[in-house]
Amino acid sequence: MVQKTTDRHHLLTYILILVFISLLGLWVKGMDIETSRQQAGLIIFSLGFVMLSAYAMAQIVNWATLPLISGYILAGIIAGPFVSGFLTIEMVGRLSLIDDLALGFIALMAGGELRLSLISLRARSIILSLVFITVAVTGLVVATILGMGNFFDVTAQFDFEDLLIFAILAGLICVTLSPASAIAVIRECGAKGPFTGMTLAVIIVLDVLIITLFTVTMSLSKILITGGHLLQMTEISGLIFEILISLIIGVVVGQAIAVYMKRIRRDLLMFLLFVAFAVARLSMGFNHWMEAQFDISLHLEPLLICMTAGFFVQNFSRFGADLLESLEKMAFPIYALFFSVAGASLDFDSLILCWPLAILLVTVRMAGLMGGSWLAGVISADPVAFNRNAWLTYVPQAGVSIGLAQIATRQFPEIGIHLNTLVLGIIAINQIVGPITYKLALNNVGESVKR
Amino acid sequence: MKIIFTFLLVILLVFSGYHLSFRKFRIPLFARKFYLTGLEFLFLGLLLGPNFLNILDVETLQALSPVTALVLGWIGMLFGFQFEIPNLRRFPGVYFLAAFIESAVTLVIVFSGVYLCLPLVFDISGAMRMVASITVAAAAACTAQTGLALIPTAKNNASQSIIKILRYFSSTDGLVAMLALTPVYVLSLRNADIVDRRLMFGGDDILITLILFTAILTLYSLFLSQRREESELALIIIGMVIFISGFSWVMDFSPLLANFFVGMCLVNLTSEKEKIFNTLVSIEKPVYLLLLIFLGSGWQLHHISGFAAAGAYFAFRFLGKMAGGFSVSRMGGKMGTLPSGLGLGLMGQGGLPLAILYDFYQSMAFDFSGEIIGIALIAIIFSDITSPVLVGRLLRKEG
Repeated sequence: MVQKTTDRHHLLTYILILVFISLLGLWVKGMDIETSRQQAGLIIFSLGFVMLSAYAMAQIVNWATLPLISGYILAGIIAGPFVSGFLTIEMVGRLSLIDDLALGFIALMAGGELRLSLISLRARSIILSLVFITVAVTGLVVATILGMGNFFDVTAQFDFEDLLIFAILAGLICVTLSPASAIAVIRECGAKGPFTGMTLAVIIVLDVLIITLFTVTMSLSKILITGGHLLQMTEISGLIFEILISLIIGVVVGQAIAVYMKRIRRDLLMFLLFVAFAVARLSMGFNHWMEAQFDISLHLEPLLICMTAGFFVQNFSRFGADLLESLEKMAFPIYALFFSVAGASLDFDSLILCWPLAILLVTVRMAGLMGGSWLAGVISADPVAFNRNAWLTYVPQAGVSIGLAQIATRQFPEIGIHLNTLVLGIIAINQIVGPITYKLALNNVGESVKR
Repeated sequence: MKIIFTFLLVILLVFSGYHLSFRKFRIPLFARKFYLTGLEFLFLGLLLGPNFLNILDVETLQALSPVTALVLGWIGMLFGFQFEIPNLRRFPGVYFLAAFIESAVTLVIVFSGVYLCLPLVFDISGAMRMVASITVAAAAACTAQTGLALIPTAKNNASQSIIKILRYFSSTDGLVAMLALTPVYVLSLRNADIVDRRLMFGGDDILITLILFTAILTLYSLFLSQRREESELALIIIGMVIFISGFSWVMDFSPLLANFFVGMCLVNLTSEKEKIFNTLVSIEKPVYLLLLIFLGSGWQLHHISGFAAAGAYFAFRFLGKMAGGFSVSRMGGKMGTLPSGLGLGLMGQGGLPLAILYDFYQSMAFDFSGEIIGIALIAIIFSDITSPVLVGRLLRKEG
């Protein structure tokens, strides 16, 4: 899927395509929609509209040597509820299942890209990066919010206790990254090598680490708020159990994929589609069931399951290359779909509400990423080019952070609601800037096949 | 009862898995025919659907509507690609005429039979009865190559010539079904209210439709104005098929038909037709299997009388195909050498009828849509299982 940069010659064609699609879109939007079938048709039409315009937009931004996913996201933003309103919030919500399917595919691909041989070569560097990035980003964000909280509307209303909890939770959420963006840029650039492998490993493992830390922090925060009750071990053990179960299911799914590839092979794409769908649906169903039957809030992570499955096939079977080749066939449509819907979901209302603090925290987060990854690289004696560029790959941020902010909102409604707004604002910036910095890093290090 | 059915379906699927995993495992002949058509996926759909496990519940199916639109559009487009004029011209014009006659005769006979018998099974009348009868008759008019795929290579000239004709018929006779369905969707039925029938395409509407059709073709040609990589082309085609299918739903039209007409134009107008065709074919199988799963999930059969109705539908189709084959053999000229029992070779029904039925199920919110589909599905399964035997008999007769 290595992409050639768009020629100036073809730029006009893509602009023409966008104009054409927009005119057709406007015409359909102007129609009287009366029946439920027509409403469903409008959603389907909008999906096609977004995919095609995302493709054309991606080619246009590619002309300016920006990554394709920036184009997909931009198309989603323009079509989304906060700019043109072509895609409404309800429509975006109704595409969530398709979105989950796409994410399952991307997670399989991300896991499949992680090669144990490369990771073990850089194990020290990866572990140090995980530790230093977590400490640096969380520390800087906490310090900034505590130090400057009084200057911003969002945080000025909190007492110190609430501000501290808000700061710690925001700090941890700021550490989360975006495996989906990472894998899309890596595939687009055809990047391969130790730097690509190392940064991808950090991105994937960091998400799992932060989910754990976040839950522990929430339990501790509850103690702080309720005045010194005993630490609720059930939540922490529940979380560890959840991650372990997700990993085990991931291994089982990976084994099933490997067996299928060994025994049957045919219709692999169909099988993978089924796997992604089944994992998304069964995780959701299982979580609801556990909550209803045992009042246990166990959240199996479809993303983690699929990534583990991909990782297993790549490293513990001989079908890793075949799996990636098969997934690659659908890479373009999946990315265009997923990232354009992600673009349409970006919450610019939140950004407008808290933009000064969001911009400040984005900057502080970048400083933390830079400092943490640089320190880890220096201690591990990584090449200078790696140390200078690693932080650029950690800028993209998405899904997990939204999930964590929502959990915080449920647990601490008063501060959580502000946290959610802030996080959505930060993500809006990082998701736009992140893919660009990622591509830049791969180019700088020289692991990108196509610049 | 539900548990027993679920258990039986699980057994069937385990058997399918075993069959797929261990190819050398010898399965009975009838089962081999069953697996060739992928019909086990219908049962997978039935198992996953609201009737049993409810994993594919109504809400999920609604959320997956873009996929169903893609599936229908994809099949329509692929079928449209069969009508490349230079390709059709490689055969004498009389072949095309014969395929058309055979299919039209079947359509008329099945339509008449179903139209007369439908009120015996359902409390159905008026436009609803007409639409349902045309749809199942259109599905009956199509022929697939399922039966041909299972018979050994023909050795003598007579058999080879028959196989050639049967292959030609099975690639082209679906055109009659598509043409018959067009008025059904043009005389679109809004809501479920049959009385509220309206002539959708008045004078202005025809002009608007032509403009839109031209606009869509222009959009395609803009996308295809430069060479694309395989996965880029996949994105463009998937995007366009979804785009057109959504458009069709908004316009109360059929995504299957809309994409069929677009496909027919593209194959004759664009130089990238080979690449597009390869892309379409590359995920044809998954698309077909998805169609089977979706259809299976909506499968309804509440009365035992449905089996009798399925038998009647099969009988009408058998009669239609035999009469169609007989008419062709009486056309004289090159067709005069064909056996009068040619219809025996035309019993396989395949994928297009399933798409027609699913399109009907998606588009027409009748009370009985699910049951009508259920009946037709049983007949189709029976047709696909018996067709290799019937083709074999036809060829044996010819020595």
